Amino acid sequence: MIRGDPVIRGDRGTRPPSTGRDYTRHALGTIGRATLLAVLPAFFALPLLWLASAPFDAHPSITTSVPEFTLANFRSLLENPYALSSLRNSLIQAGGSAAIVVVLAALAAYALSRVRVPGRDALLYVLLLLSSVVTGTAAMVPLFELATRLNLIDTHLGVILTLSGGLLPAAIFILKDFMDGTPTSYEESARVFGASPLQILGHIVIPLVRPGLATIAVWAVANVWGSFLQPFILLRDPGKAPGAVILYTLYTEGGAPRLDLISAFSLLYSLPVVVMYVFVSRRYGFRFHGGIKR
Amino acid sequence: MISLSGLTKEFPGGVRAIDSLDLEIADGEFFALLGPSGCGKTTLLRTIAGLETPTSGNIRIGAVDVTRLPPGRRDVAMVFQDYALFPHMDVTANIAYPLRIKKVPRAAREAKAAETASRLSLSELLGRRPGQLSGGQQQRVALARAIASHPTVFLFDEPLSNLDARLRLEARTFLKRLQRELAVTTVFVTHDQGEALALADRIAVMSAGRIMQVGTPSEVFQRPANTFVAAFIGSTPMNLLPGRAENGALHVAGAVLPLPPGVREGPIVYGLRPEYADLTQSPPLGRNDAFTGKVAVVENLGTAHLVTLESPSAEANHLLQVVVPEGEEPGLGTPAWVTPRPGRALLYRDDELLTSA
Ligand SMILES: Nc1ncnc2c1ncn2[C@@H]1O[C@H](COP(=O)(O)OP(=O)(O)OP(=O)(O)O)[C@@H](O)[C@H]1O
Ligand SMILES: [Mg+2]
Repeated sequence: MIRGDPVIRGDRGTRPPSTGRDYTRHALGTIGRATLLAVLPAFFALPLLWLASAPFDAHPSITTSVPEFTLANFRSLLENPYALSSLRNSLIQAGGSAAIVVVLAALAAYALSRVRVPGRDALLYVLLLLSSVVTGTAAMVPLFELATRLNLIDTHLGVILTLSGGLLPAAIFILKDFMDGTPTSYEESARVFGASPLQILGHIVIPLVRPGLATIAVWAVANVWGSFLQPFILLRDPGKAPGAVILYTLYTEGGAPRLDLISAFSLLYSLPVVVMYVFVSRRYGFRFHGGIKR
Repeated sequence: MISLSGLTKEFPGGVRAIDSLDLEIADGEFFALLGPSGCGKTTLLRTIAGLETPTSGNIRIGAVDVTRLPPGRRDVAMVFQDYALFPHMDVTANIAYPLRIKKVPRAAREAKAAETASRLSLSELLGRRPGQLSGGQQQRVALARAIASHPTVFLFDEPLSNLDARLRLEARTFLKRLQRELAVTTVFVTHDQGEALALADRIAVMSAGRIMQVGTPSEVFQRPANTFVAAFIGSTPMNLLPGRAENGALHVAGAVLPLPPGVREGPIVYGLRPEYADLTQSPPLGRNDAFTGKVAVVENLGTAHLVTLESPSAEANHLLQVVVPEGEEPGLGTPAWVTPRPGRALLYRDDELLTSA
């Protein structure tokens, strides 16, 4: 009967689903989505939970459990001669690379953004493509060879230069985008008042792209902090090795991981990066587009 | 004095934004560059500032040939159309910026900034960032910054175009007074003919990179040198009607008008401002020097009306516009007659002004 009645059919078509079955389906969908959204973060939260509990557990295992509270893990970590100094090495290498990357990328991005160079975009893309190769596994042999010839083996500088080289193209690429987004009339205005290119960079451009510079600095530090292969290969002296490399040495003679040391060290190792993120994000905010805050 | 000779700017891709241009601007003059969008006004201003390098020709400011000098050594100050106030500096720092470049000590330049600001009634705003200012205030800060640099030449690129209509009138009066007080040579770009007429001592009307006419506001308004200027200047566009000089009379759109002495026979263009004609609703007695037509459109201008007449005859199918005083506007579709005031019409031949009629 309803089939034969076009008025009712037409009317129902425009109304939101309100019959019993539609309603149930709608509710089930919402519940399902909420459950999924709740479970997914839990998945990511578990390792973090481990990082928070295991260091204080007298008998840490690879599962998360309520800890039997102790600070003994940290005490035995301090007995390891390289543990604390490795964090200092990490700081030197990360800080050095970040400084080089920010300074060079800012200068290069400014020039590339403001001067019309033929083939500029192609150049950037090729650099970007090569950068993953340059510091990647594939180039380790020639890099080692190069570092040996330049007497850079077993120096912080060797690690810093290698890692900076790999980060620079992406940093230039991102910063150029920031600089493209700032109007040239600010700089032209300063130029008419007689400002030199370096003054323009210092007074106008850098303050305007400061969030971009902060982003690049944090990104560079985080990258270097987590780099293992390059320092592992370029450094011989464990007294110069960064945290990522030392973490790899916290095993018993038999080759079993010392979870008490590893968990405590992991916590110490990750804290500086977390603190930096929070600080920089508070101070500058991370923004990848439109560098100006008017 | 600014003098430009043979100045040409060709952009890559072959656009001639300025085309062998000659111009002299006197000391202390308020000079307007007027023209439609894309005619090269901004390019000319930027070339004078040194932000663009001319393809050929040269620029002198005072006795110095500045053609190859960088912008900072030309002693000019420019106010950009978007004001280009530094968003990360407060008003004081913005106004003091030119002095910071000149290495004036901080205390001295802040005092100077405060003094300049008070002159432009900006004293309350010294601590604010440009983002916290209204358009009119931003414009004044940009002016203050230009004034603080104490240049020999001001270059303004449409400084009023970002303001709303009312504010623009105020800012216009303010700008004119300020320029009189400072007596600094000022080149002012605008596409608004009313603004140019109101502000400038002299106007250069530009089209497609060339100067069509240079003159005082009354010269370009009363005796436009060609039909381009005639059509461009005036708040209501001038009527430009094709006609012929024949048998000792002017034949224009059905009317027969007296031929001024010295005009040879041949085709002419008859220019008549809508303000310089009288409209009647019956034919003027005993005369045939009136245009006639049907009222097609009546537009209210406030204190007057702009009436558009449609000519009935097919051979002279032209629209004619007349300004009619308040209260005298004719009804739509009614016939009307238009008598030009003697001596107020302009005759053009080969796009050049012959004489008035
Ligand atoms: N950097 C550039 N490269 C190529 N062509 C340009 C460049 N700048 C301006 N032009 C061209 O030069 C001509 C004049 O431009 P200009 O900006 O001087 O015009 P304008 O008179 O200031 O116009 P508006 O009133 O719209 O500001 C235009 O045709 C424009 O497209
Ligand atoms: Mg312009």
